[in-house]
Formats: sequence, structure tokens, C-alpha cells
Amino acid sequence: MMDSGDDTGSAYNSQVESAAVDARTFAMAFDASPTPMVVTDPRLADNPIVWVNDAFVDLTGYSRSELEGRNCRMLQGPESDRRAIEIIRDAMKRQASLEVELRNYRKDGTSFWNAMTITPVRNEHGELVYYYAAQADMTEKHALELAMKGTNDELARQVNEQTADLRAALEQKTALLHEVDHRVKNNLQVISSLVLLKARRTPQGEARDALQGMAERIGALSMVHRMLYSAGDVTRFNLEEFADDFMSDLTAGIDPERTAVSAEIEPISLPAAIAAPLALMLHELATNAVRHAFPDERGGRITISARRCETGLRVLIEDDGIGLKAGKPNPAGFGCSLVEMVVKQLRGVITWHDPVPGTRVEIVIPLQQDAPTGSASASAGRAS
Amino acid sequence: MSRDTSLRILVVEDEALIALELECLLDDLGYVIVGVAGSSAEAIELGRTTFPDVALVDIHLVDGPTGIDVARTLSLDPRTSVVFMTANDKRIPADFAGALGVIAKPYSERAVAGALRYVADIRAGLEPRPEGLDGFRLAVDGVPDDPIWPSAPWSGPKH
Repeated sequence: MMDSGDDTGSAYNSQVESAAVDARTFAMAFDASPTPMVVTDPRLADNPIVWVNDAFVDLTGYSRSELEGRNCRMLQGPESDRRAIEIIRDAMKRQASLEVELRNYRKDGTSFWNAMTITPVRNEHGELVYYYAAQADMTEKHALELAMKGTNDELARQVNEQTADLRAALEQKTALLHEVDHRVKNNLQVISSLVLLKARRTPQGEARDALQGMAERIGALSMVHRMLYSAGDVTRFNLEEFADDFMSDLTAGIDPERTAVSAEIEPISLPAAIAAPLALMLHELATNAVRHAFPDERGGRITISARRCETGLRVLIEDDGIGLKAGKPNPAGFGCSLVEMVVKQLRGVITWHDPVPGTRVEIVIPLQQDAPTGSASASAGRAS
Repeated sequence: MSRDTSLRILVVEDEALIALELECLLDDLGYVIVGVAGSSAEAIELGRTTFPDVALVDIHLVDGPTGIDVARTLSLDPRTSVVFMTANDKRIPADFAGALGVIAKPYSERAVAGALRYVADIRAGLEPRPEGLDGFRLAVDGVPDDPIWPSAPWSGPKH
């Protein structure tokens, strides 16, 4: 209907008039807008600028007369991204709308990041008449992004540096642990050899027995050190594992027909720090029972048990031998005082019972459930 | 003991006190000591000239952690059985460098006696007696993974 005859002419004119009013209103609104805007006319040669608003003038530093009649590429410069320019050209060729960011240059030569929305404007016949572009200065945003990236890169660099430092420190610490472990074991072997060599050169009797006894005590400590660090966790010690070797050592060379030794040791994980004194204590009490409870071909049995109890670890060493009172009084009493000392060090309680027949020694050692592993491992060396 | 007495042993140990006490212990057990070496060169030379039945080899010697090379060289001679004796078993490679096993230092006399009885049984073609082998770890049981130092450069390929 609208384009079929002359009678529509007056209506058309009034539309043009109202459009003209609207266009003026729009132009005023656009002029006053803080958003930089530009309109180009692709129907003229080289698609020149035909209108800019004040904000665009302010952004670029060019006057209206310097801008109008020239192509927008006047704002491009050495650091304008060629690919972005290609994208703009391609969109214009296709008469498509487009959003793009491009580094542009002001009249004074300074650059800014220009985020522009380019829209083709068509007339009622669908013909391309203008390009309209709104701009936004993104320089600050880009500077911020750049600063953020710089900060991130710096943080990443610092994290990498610290990780490398930590890894090196851990490797050093591990190497040191192996070295110390090796030295402790080797030194124990040297000490043991030293005492045994002296024992060999000492005539049979009390002095030689004392040296032999010392070598055996060193042996008990050595057994602990063979097991420490071997299982991976340097701060813990498995009592059951120790008991296996300990019992083999204890029963070696005794007649099982005459003396029956049995052990019930629970698989209790103990702090490494108490391993050495505990081993020394067990060695002293068990060896004492084996050596002194059954004199003169007397037969009997020895029972060793270690269990968890409410307050910690409960160790019981029983025999049905001649008993404490009947035993030959030991002038030095070294074994007993050694046990008392060690129990005191472990903050435990020892009770000597004198049942008939035999001896019964009960030791309760408090165990901290959540002993800080750091202090346990730190004191492991001192305690041994 | 009559069978065991025939074993002729080379001691490769750089710590004089340990070597001397070990000699006494081996003597007590009825073995014959053919020599004591403190360095890898000495050990290899003594191995060549005395062709021992058993070589007890420490890993750290006067000239460094060369016990591994010593074990490799000595075990090339089919007449010689090699057993490591070390506080540093983390250094033993996965193939045990030809050794039968390792006696962990600090060792007990019982561990040494048990290990040598085991070697004697093996050499005599007997089924080895399993008792008294604590403190002696067999090569066939492999090298344990070291969770503290899993990247130990000398631990060789993991199985």
C-alpha cells in the first residue's frame, strides 16, 4: 500500500518532517552524549567522516574540521593491530556490524585503546547510507590488565622460585637424614666392636662379663636403630617388629626344653624417641630373667607381654623362677637401677612383684596420643 | 661346623675396629680369613689372588662408596659368594650387584652367623635353614622402596 500510488505523498511528507525533527533531536542528544561517536558515509569516496560529537573531538584531540571529510584510518598508527584493521575492513566489505578494540592515536601522537562498535545504517530501501561507530577509551582497562598480568607473572615466578627452593631444601634434608642414619649405625658398630675387642682381651671374670653385658646393651640399642628409618616413617617405631628380632636374640642359645619363653606383643606404633630406652629396659628385664631366674638346671617359663592400656603401654615380664629374694645379691645392682632410670625417663611406673614362685615386673608407660611429630623426631637422636 | 669351617672369607671393611672384631668373630665361628681390604683396589686384588668362598663387603670404603663395584667384580668369579655388610643399604642397586644379600649394620653376632650358615647351605646345594636370618636380607627379596627418598638415583629400575 505505502509505495503503490501518489495519494500517499502527503503522508510521506509528514513522515519526513517528523523524521527531520527527530533527527535534529537525536543529533542534539548524540552531540551531548559523553560517549564518543562518529558517522561516516560509505557512498562518498574513501568512506569519509561526515559527523562527530564533542566527546569524539575531546577523545582524539582533532577539531571537527580536521576530522570531517577524512577516513577514520587517520587515527591509526604504528602500534595499531594489523589483524584488527583487517577485521574492520572485512566487516565493512560485508556491511556487517562489528565490535573491535584497536590502538588509535590522538592528534598529539599519544595512543589510546579504542573499543568501538561499528554499525551499518541503511535507508528504507535497505541501502547502506552510513556507518555509525560508538567508541570507548579502554586505555585504563588495558593498563590494569597489563598490571594484573605483570603481577600474576611475578607471583608465578615467586611461587616457582620458592617451590624450587623447598624442593632443594627437602633433598638436602633427606640426604642429611640418610647420612646421619648411616653414621649412627656405623658408629654403633664401631662402639660394639670396641667393647667386644676389649672383652676378648680381658681374662674371664667379672670385668669380662661386664664388658660382654655392655656389648649386649649396645646390641639392644643397635637393633632399634636398624629398625628406625627403615619403614619410611622416621617418627614412629613398631614394637611388634622389634619384638620379633628381640625374641630371636633372647632365645638364641637357651634350651627350649628347660626354659620356655613366650611373648605377646601387640603391634603398637610408638614414638621413635622412646624406642631406644624401651628396648634397653626390655633387654635388661628379659635377660635378667633368662640368666638368673633358673639357676642349677632349674626349668621354668618366662612370659613377656606388651599391650595398650588406658594410660598408655603396659609391659609385663613374668617368670616362675627362684624370685628376687632368692637370687644372688648383685653387688652393683646395675641392671635394676638401669631399668629404674629408664622407666623414670619414660615417665612410667614400675612395680616389682614377688609372687611365689617367681618374679613379676609390671611397667606402665604413658603414651601421648597426639605427640607432635616434630618434637618426637627431633628428640630421637638425643634419646638414643 | 665341619662343613662351615671350610669357608674362606675375605673381609672388605675400611673401619679397622670393625674389621678386627669381625675377624675375631669369624675365627670364633670357625671360618678362615683370607684377607682384610679397606679400599676397592685392595679388595679386588685380594679377590683375584685369594679367590675366597665368601666376601663380606662394606659399601663405604676408603675410596668412597665403591663397595658396589667391588661386589660386582668379585661376584664375577663363580667361586666367590658376595654378601654386603653395610649401614647404608639404601645404596644397594636393584640387582644387588651380584651379592646374595645384605647384613644390616649394626649387626649382631647371631646375624653374621645366620647369614654365613645360609651362604654355606646355598654353596653346598642344600635347602637353606630359615632360622636366625633376622638382620640378614636376601637379594631375592629385592630392594625396598624408600618412601623418604623415592627418587634415589642409585635405586635402579623399580619393579
